[in-house]
Amino acid sequence: MMRLSGRARSALIIGLQGIRSRKTRTLLSMVSLFLGVLAVVVVQAGASIAERALLADMELFEGLDGTVVMDIGGTSPQLGPVVTTTVAGRSDAVAMTGMQAIIGEPGVRPVNEGGVPLDGSWGDPGPPMTCDETGCRELPAAEIQPKGQAIEVRLTALTGDVRKYRPYRPQSGEWLDFSTMPSLAPRLVLNKAAAVGFEQYQVPAEMRVTGASANMTPHFIGVVDDGDQQPRAYVRLDELSHWVPAARLIDPNMSEVRVLMTAGTPVEQVLSAKLRALGVEPMVRTVNSREDQEEQLALMRLVFLAMAGLVLLIGVAGILNVGLATVGERVEEFALRRAVGTPRTLLAGIVLAETLITGLLTAALAIGVSVLGMKALVTLAGGSQPFLQGMEFPWDAGVAGVIAGLIAGVLGGFVPAIRAAGIPIATVMRA
Amino acid sequence: MTALIQLTGITKVLKGQEQPRTILDGVSLDVHPGESLAIVGRSGSGKSTLLSVLGLFDRPDQGTYLLSGTDISRLPERRAAKLRSSHFGFVFQRFFLLKHLTAAQNVAMALVNGQGWLPRRQRRARVMQALDEVGIAHLAKNRPARMSGGEQQRVAIARALVREPRILLADEPTGALDTETGTLVIDALQSVTARGCALILVTHDRDHAARMGRLLHLDAGVLTEQLVTS
Ligand SMILES: Nc1ncnc2c1ncn2[C@@H]1O[C@H](COP(=O)(O)OP(=O)(O)OP(=O)(O)O)[C@@H](O)[C@H]1O
Ligand SMILES: [Mg+2]
Repeated sequence: MMRLSGRARSALIIGLQGIRSRKTRTLLSMVSLFLGVLAVVVVQAGASIAERALLADMELFEGLDGTVVMDIGGTSPQLGPVVTTTVAGRSDAVAMTGMQAIIGEPGVRPVNEGGVPLDGSWGDPGPPMTCDETGCRELPAAEIQPKGQAIEVRLTALTGDVRKYRPYRPQSGEWLDFSTMPSLAPRLVLNKAAAVGFEQYQVPAEMRVTGASANMTPHFIGVVDDGDQQPRAYVRLDELSHWVPAARLIDPNMSEVRVLMTAGTPVEQVLSAKLRALGVEPMVRTVNSREDQEEQLALMRLVFLAMAGLVLLIGVAGILNVGLATVGERVEEFALRRAVGTPRTLLAGIVLAETLITGLLTAALAIGVSVLGMKALVTLAGGSQPFLQGMEFPWDAGVAGVIAGLIAGVLGGFVPAIRAAGIPIATVMRA
Repeated sequence: MTALIQLTGITKVLKGQEQPRTILDGVSLDVHPGESLAIVGRSGSGKSTLLSVLGLFDRPDQGTYLLSGTDISRLPERRAAKLRSSHFGFVFQRFFLLKHLTAAQNVAMALVNGQGWLPRRQRRARVMQALDEVGIAHLAKNRPARMSGGEQQRVAIARALVREPRILLADEPTGALDTETGTLVIDALQSVTARGCALILVTHDRDHAARMGRLLHLDAGVLTEQLVTS
């Protein structure tokens, strides 16, 4: 024990003397390695951020991982009531149904017929169509209303707070409150695409919904980012039901009906059984975006890691170069140390330890810079990129950096260490 | 009384060239504690090679090397390093001081070699004692660049003495010094024999050689002893 600690202490003193006498060199090898480790850390962190960004968008569309999604299609008029009564008041299931709604001046065609995005990114929607139970056809010219101050949106009616499954990001105002008494004037939350429209066109607020008993006056209470390009509005189903008959409200013929559920809820079984009794076979699946993305992400990560590895390799070459030059310079010192009885393994260990310490210091520095850079990124871009908000530095990037530093230290120090151990003592007699 | 060093038929062959060359050819030699020996011979006769075998830098190809009666002819490197630390001191023609260290740190280098451990205070005491022995304790804090050649060589001698070796090997230690300084260095070296340390000095200087107790001639790897008449 004493002997070991004596060796360790000797190694420490010799190593520190070595580093102190070669500050510039140590710094040089750190610079060359710094970029390599930084590249590895940045790639690793970047991949984690990219994964997060990708998943964040998928979560808006698909729902959070683990959400059970039931899509319902069918013609039975019972369908709507069955769905709404089954999920009513439950915290582990939300039904959503979509329908067409035109908000604005009465008696005009909406500026974005067909509910296309208002920025025109979907192109010309073509001639106006009309649809009913028998199908869709072009409207006769006489019936075509003039275009006016109105915007068409997809109206999504919800039986409960869907954000548990789809984390819509609040932009302004409030989200729907499902705990209060349903209001007679339906409260609407717009998505960003719809909000843009209402900013561009000052429309008088009146809402036309197909099948509604009358036009209603909507209340806009907030805007969310749902990741959708298409103008959408969200509304409490029970508030809409004052105006739209239940059969039209959830009408799979006319609208999309979807139930989002927490995994393992009895609702899935019960609702499926009830629907089957009506002759409807629901399509059920579980959201698993992460796994679906994994392969694609893994490939991306691999490509970038390979590039980072290349940069790291250059760093290793740098540290190796400096290390070999240093050993070359220290030939006499090492021969002399061996002459006075320093074991060659200790000398090799010191050289290796010097580069390892350099490597780890560099890794720590690179990780520190990355953490700071990430903080800066989150503060600067967090506002416009919501998925960055509250994002922590991914720990696996830190681990990758430390491993990169270690590998570089070992690779860059190994050859010089062997060289150092192999220096013949007689060098001191023939110099 | 067993000899401190007993070489019998030591042969060293240089390989790796077209034909092997014999550098040391059946060298036999006994050295007793407190003796001083001079080894002289033409350049290339194998003097440094003999010292490197004696000092366990290298192993002989043939022959036996007994150290205090123990055969160390085929010693593994790990144990050789330990013996170099505990039994031998070395002084070379060039001083080989580490220029980034002070005189005291250069001497301490022989103590900080992974062979045992001395606490800082004891280490300092030993270093100062060794520097004092060669008369340059006042230069302890100086770096080599600010010392004369003679002073540097005496730091190197202090480094060789700090572990109180049994055998001091010196390879042309005055080769880079003027006559007067050289004499001072030889004085410092010779003083160690008083406490039983054997001194083996390789030199080209007749006068320095004459001051040693025994005079040996190396000629093309063959060692012969000249009887000193005095
Ligand atoms: N590592 C080596 N590589 C090549 N030749 C060597 C090596 N070591 C020794 N020799 C050869 O061995 C012979 C003896 O060398 P050595 O250094 O022992 O001589 P020396 O007596 O010390 O000479 P000098 O007085 O010039 O120092 C020389 O001819 C030398 O060329
Ligand atoms: Mg020589």
